[in-house]
Amino acid sequence: MARYIFKRLIGMMIVIFIVLTIAFIIVRLAPGDPATLMLGPDATAEDAAALRQRLGLDRPILVQYLSFVGNAVQGDLGESLFFNQPVTQVLAARSEPTIFLSLFSLLIALVIATPIGIYAAYRRGSFLDQAAITTAMLAASIPSFWTGLMLQRYLATDLGWFPVSGYGGPDTGFLERMRYLLLPSIVLGIVNSALILRFTRASMLDILGEDYIRTARSKGMGERRVVLRHALKNAAIPIITVVGLTFALLVSGAVVTERVFNIPGMGNLVVSAVLRRDYPVIQGALIVVASLYVLINLLTDLLYLVVDKRVKY
Amino acid sequence: MESRLLTRASLLAAFMAGPAMAAPLAAQTTLDVAIIGEADTFDPMMSTKDVVSIVTQHFVETLYTFDSGWNVAPLLATEMPQISDDGLTYTIGIREGVTFHDGSSMDAKDVVASLERWLEVASRGKLVADKVASIEATGDYEVTITLTEAYSPLLSLLAFSNSAAAIYPEETIAETIDPVIGTGPYKIAEHVPDQYLQLVRYDDYSSRSEEPDGAAGARNQIVDEIRFVPVPDPNTRVEGLLSGQFDFADGLPAESYDRLDSSDVADPMLLQPFGWPVFAINHKEGLLTDKTTRQALQAALPMDDMLFAAFGDDKFFLTDGPLYPEGWAWRNDAGAELFNQNDQARAAELLQEAGYDGTPLRILTSRQYEFHFKMAEVARMALEAAGFTVQMDVVDWATLGERRNDPALWDIYISHSPFLPEPSLTDMYSKTSRLGWSNPEKDEILAEFTSETDPEKRKELYAQLQGQVFEDVGFIKIGAFNALSGMAEGLTGVTETPWPFFWNAESAE
Repeated sequence: MARYIFKRLIGMMIVIFIVLTIAFIIVRLAPGDPATLMLGPDATAEDAAALRQRLGLDRPILVQYLSFVGNAVQGDLGESLFFNQPVTQVLAARSEPTIFLSLFSLLIALVIATPIGIYAAYRRGSFLDQAAITTAMLAASIPSFWTGLMLQRYLATDLGWFPVSGYGGPDTGFLERMRYLLLPSIVLGIVNSALILRFTRASMLDILGEDYIRTARSKGMGERRVVLRHALKNAAIPIITVVGLTFALLVSGAVVTERVFNIPGMGNLVVSAVLRRDYPVIQGALIVVASLYVLINLLTDLLYLVVDKRVKY
Repeated sequence: MESRLLTRASLLAAFMAGPAMAAPLAAQTTLDVAIIGEADTFDPMMSTKDVVSIVTQHFVETLYTFDSGWNVAPLLATEMPQISDDGLTYTIGIREGVTFHDGSSMDAKDVVASLERWLEVASRGKLVADKVASIEATGDYEVTITLTEAYSPLLSLLAFSNSAAAIYPEETIAETIDPVIGTGPYKIAEHVPDQYLQLVRYDDYSSRSEEPDGAAGARNQIVDEIRFVPVPDPNTRVEGLLSGQFDFADGLPAESYDRLDSSDVADPMLLQPFGWPVFAINHKEGLLTDKTTRQALQAALPMDDMLFAAFGDDKFFLTDGPLYPEGWAWRNDAGAELFNQNDQARAAELLQEAGYDGTPLRILTSRQYEFHFKMAEVARMALEAAGFTVQMDVVDWATLGERRNDPALWDIYISHSPFLPEPSLTDMYSKTSRLGWSNPEKDEILAEFTSETDPEKRKELYAQLQGQVFEDVGFIKIGAFNALSGMAEGLTGVTETPWPFFWNAESAE
């Protein structure tokens, strides 16, 4: 077990190293120069060249790469070109909204999707099953920016129940900040509940057809117990996988929703950083997201051990 | 159990109700202003971006500023300078009793150090740097600028909030200034990048005493706090304004006009005209170095259609040729008959005369500003009808910003600008700009224009310069467009300007 985790951690570092190398190359291949952007439309080429020199962007790419890797190994991801702050600090500030947003939306997705998925599988072919599948398809097909705009317009602007956007001003406390996350969480929760619902239903259907379920029933076990104790426990592994993946996707991919609701999270940061060509921030964010992705995958695999005693590593 | 439930219920209620449940602050007035993005720097010398100007003018000041008629007016200077008859010496009195936000008082030494830095690092400062012989403190509260040749745009440059000649304490002057300390009516309290910039009233502010007039005159600090919130998505700015979350929102999409107009929470604020879209022309290399080809280009363009495609409703644009709008001192009609010819047959003749060989005309544009792209699309059709082969290079703004510096990569790039108070603030007239527009006649007019100090003569010279823009097709103005902002009902005292400011603003909340 310890050996397994150790091996996975080594693998994780290799993945992250590859990601950071690719990130480094790709952002520098993209045309567009941070210095020109920072100085504004009327700045001259000479001004931009001087700023590039000050930022160290005129050094050979290999020198920039080696210094970046050398510093990254020591936990120093450099300084944001735009914020004049260490990248680690910039990223730390952005991770809180994203993590809470991901957790909230995952919670919403689970609360909606698992019971309906289980029930739909149990009553396969019934009206509710059909309705659940159709709704799930609809929910998955509607773009999240549209749902976001609608919720924003009707629940926030017209009814005034929620803030339209942002993450609170200087005098907002933790609870108030969380309130800002409710609408975007619902948007992401709806989208992701569709996926989880379909997985739960499919996984439950497989298990409900197994011999031991028939045996349990023939022994006179109550339906509720059969479904919730026997079937659900065994159907859980694929569900955990998809929940893990969903969470990882949420952390890395809430870009549109963060943009629409103007949440200063990682997704929003990455988009702005790309538009600003803030190389160190793009690299740093990719490293953090890649690490989270790999870490969540590892945790998902470890969770299998808890759920199913037959799994051994 | 019951009490736990109750606690939970009340927590939930507090959570849902949010600020409504919070104890009211003691009559603290705050203005929440949604801006289009984060200001990259708080040092306005270092940037020509409008968003930087908008934000920084609240805490950093300059010697001069502009009144509502875009005339230069004193701000940190006591009055307008004494200019020697030969136009070479500017003696500027500095106001006494002005303190910086760190408590230190401002004197001539701070001004000299700041202006020297401005000449060295600011794009617009560099425009005059080679004409400045010296900047000296000629008294505790007097500064003398000596020029090597007369340069009439100097005062406008000193007054502009963009690439601004900001006045900082001498001790803070360095390559980068951090934190930024100014003399403005508000000072920085907290900045959380991409979330908000909180400005609070500077209690020791020393205001001018004249009636407020544009950015000139008294700067009254009516609200206690101004919070600038970067909101990149335009729809989110609209919703935020309509929900009451913001008191002012800048850069709103034209389509939101009717919603704002019919709302009882907010009102539209149409700045007409705001500015002009421009097709910048490459005079250094390629197809358009040929004058007849440029004239063919100018003849073919249908400005009405381009503007309509770009702005959708004539509430938001004006098909207007002269380079300055109605009501401005610089307005004149020279050459304007060549505007909006929409004559593809004439263009085809000119192309034939030029011996055009079908080399693609490369239009560099971006979709960051959707109206640029839409104008380019309509232009393409007209140009193709005239016989041009057109190649559209649609890139993001960052890429455009870089590519336009290389004359080998484009023939036209599309940009836009607010109407600037002084023509020389637009560098497109200058042969050293990235357009590289130069001919002996124009260069001579420009040299005379920038050294002439008599306002009437300057107007005449400017008319000649505008004539050159059309005659030689230096660059192409497409028209004028309006900008939409919005403000909460009950907000008063906000001047209509491309760079809105909120001293003197009063909220009815």
